Amino acid sequence: MHEPLDVAAADAYLRDARCGGLNLFVGTTRQWTGTRETVELAYECYEPMAIKEMQRLVDEAKARWPIERVCVLHRLGVVPVAEASVVVGVATPHRAAAFEACRFLIDELKVQVPIWKREHYTDGTTEWVQGAQPPRVEGEG
Amino acid sequence: MNESHPVVFTVLLFSILREKVGRAAVDVAVPAPATGSALLDALEAAHPAVAPYRPVIRLAVNQTYVPESVRLTEGDEVALITPVSGG
Repeated sequence: MHEPLDVAAADAYLRDARCGGLNLFVGTTRQWTGTRETVELAYECYEPMAIKEMQRLVDEAKARWPIERVCVLHRLGVVPVAEASVVVGVATPHRAAAFEACRFLIDELKVQVPIWKREHYTDGTTEWVQGAQPPRVEGEG
Repeated sequence: MNESHPVVFTVLLFSILREKVGRAAVDVAVPAPATGSALLDALEAAHPAVAPYRPVIRLAVNQTYVPESVRLTEGDEVALITPVSGG
């Protein structure tokens, strides 16, 4: 979605009487990376595959942890400094699983979901950020 | 499928590859038998700008990651995925 992410709406959705733990991760645009100052980030996405990959990761998380509610949202287009680009939330009966599942989802999103960010620096330059390479799956390549 | 003729695939490009090639999609004729690596070879020959990224490109067919050894079928949706940087 290209609009600002509604963290309060995500929180409200994740509230569940069966759950005692709710973990909400919000990723935001950072102003400084080392000595370079960022004005904004711009995100590009291969949308149908991104949706499929997010669903696959959610299915995998649900198979590993007792998740009652989950949300994964990513903003596209321009995201100014301090605004949210990604929201991942998990609600589980006990907190440990909520932390673990939320960490799993954001870490996997960052290597599997086909979304790319472009840095726009204050000096007028721009740069595509190349993410970490995922570990090679056996039989791949 | 006629094995003696190359099959043309439309390959989707994103982020840095889209910029380096100058287009969001390119048609690539792949000699039979059409595999992922044959497609990448043909693409690289037609668009040398892709070459430096070849070691980090992951292939997606019909919106799923696949190994380069995959056998392609006419009509497959092929996309090249450089290391992603969402989040």
